[in-house]
Amino acid sequence: MIHDSSHVRDNDGSEGSGGDGVDRRGFLQCMAWAGTGLVWTATGGILSSATLRQAAAAGADPVSSFSFVQISDTHIGFKGEANKDALGTFEQAIARIKAIEPAPAFIIHTGDLTHAQKPGAFDTVSEALKGTKAERIFYIPGENDVFADGGKEYLGRFGGPAGTGWQSFDFKGVHFIGLVNVLNFKAGGLGSLGQAQLDWLKKDVEGLSGSTPLVVFAHVPLWAVYPKWGWVTDDGEQALSYLKRFGSVTVLNGHIHQIMQKVEGNISFHTALSTAFPQPAPGVGEGPGPLKVPVEQLRGVLGVREVNYVQGKNRLTVVDSTLA
Amino acid sequence: MNSRDRSTRSAWVWRLAIAAMAALGGLAVAAGAPAGQLDGGAVPDRQAQRVAVSAPSGPGPRLEIAKHKYSSPILTVPAGTTVTWVNRDDDVHTVVSTTLAFRSAGLETDEAYSFKFTTPGVYEYFCTLHPLMTGKVIVK
Repeated sequence: MIHDSSHVRDNDGSEGSGGDGVDRRGFLQCMAWAGTGLVWTATGGILSSATLRQAAAAGADPVSSFSFVQISDTHIGFKGEANKDALGTFEQAIARIKAIEPAPAFIIHTGDLTHAQKPGAFDTVSEALKGTKAERIFYIPGENDVFADGGKEYLGRFGGPAGTGWQSFDFKGVHFIGLVNVLNFKAGGLGSLGQAQLDWLKKDVEGLSGSTPLVVFAHVPLWAVYPKWGWVTDDGEQALSYLKRFGSVTVLNGHIHQIMQKVEGNISFHTALSTAFPQPAPGVGEGPGPLKVPVEQLRGVLGVREVNYVQGKNRLTVVDSTLA
Repeated sequence: MNSRDRSTRSAWVWRLAIAAMAALGGLAVAAGAPAGQLDGGAVPDRQAQRVAVSAPSGPGPRLEIAKHKYSSPILTVPAGTTVTWVNRDDDVHTVVSTTLAFRSAGLETDEAYSFKFTTPGVYEYFCTLHPLMTGKVIVK
């Protein structure tokens, strides 16, 4: 199902010559995996949703050149009322990932790997993700991963050669950027990138053609989901200003333990479910934090996400899937 | 030093010595050493912090952390006061100065952190895990 063809995407979004064929068998396998999944498709800046059955019926092109998984907020070590078995639900999410055929090219973890840096938790997450068939795992930290020591443990382990934690890489013509917005965490809860990282980001995208699809991942939402609860990055707008000239930008965040989506021009934003516990909707209740739901509903509000990239089309398809 | 093991006379001499030292400017007494005093900007080693946290806390005000809030979010104390925070919540919390003048380790339930405020000023702090939790110590 994965093609190595490198269609050059025309600026008007049309396919190059000899477009990808429709592979219904592979698509139906995806449908079976996702079950209650929702397909979010961004085409030319318009976000539309459909269940997988509707998408198939509409003749949507299901063939993707590659897919990757976003997993977020696993909070290994959490033992609160909202979920007494955060490890168990994490393992269910891993089983889901292992069932994806063909295997995702890589996995991105958008932070809060651990709950409060509990001893052994980084190991648990790392080992479990390595046990999937994905070839590589990319991480950016959440505040839980860095709160106790200013990031010393996390960066020593996942900080990369520069030790900063931020990173970029290319895969099949898509440029991926991982940002860290929990190290300058301020009183009042806002995420923050900091000037050094902003300077790095500006340089990182400077030489890229505007038709290069971008995927940006960071823990705290880069846009103002709900500033009163700290669900915003104080210098996020500055970062987004460097990306506005690109034809397709997909921003993947975590932190709020629920799915929220927004489209602004060519930029689509998606926050992710946690595998550990849900949080209240913005403004509902006293503040953010673990939300206890009836036990039979818990797995329905936890999940993982597969992102499919369709070569030759201006489209990244986001498929969210719950654990039940 | 356990004064019960000493004779009455040497215990009396010891107490006089301590009083003299205290009068000279507030040196820490071994049995009640305030925990967690930091250089400005230093990030404490986590292990060292844990040892400090389990030492007996100072005699000054004790604030409780519960339901994701600091009790007495604005506290005014004279310079030289040791303030102690005790976590009574079911989640981990920290007490971190916005200028890094002081920084606790992650406090589990029933763990405490103390800091001695020697310099007058306004010290804002927050929890690095739940940054909407904020407080202030005003030192006169």
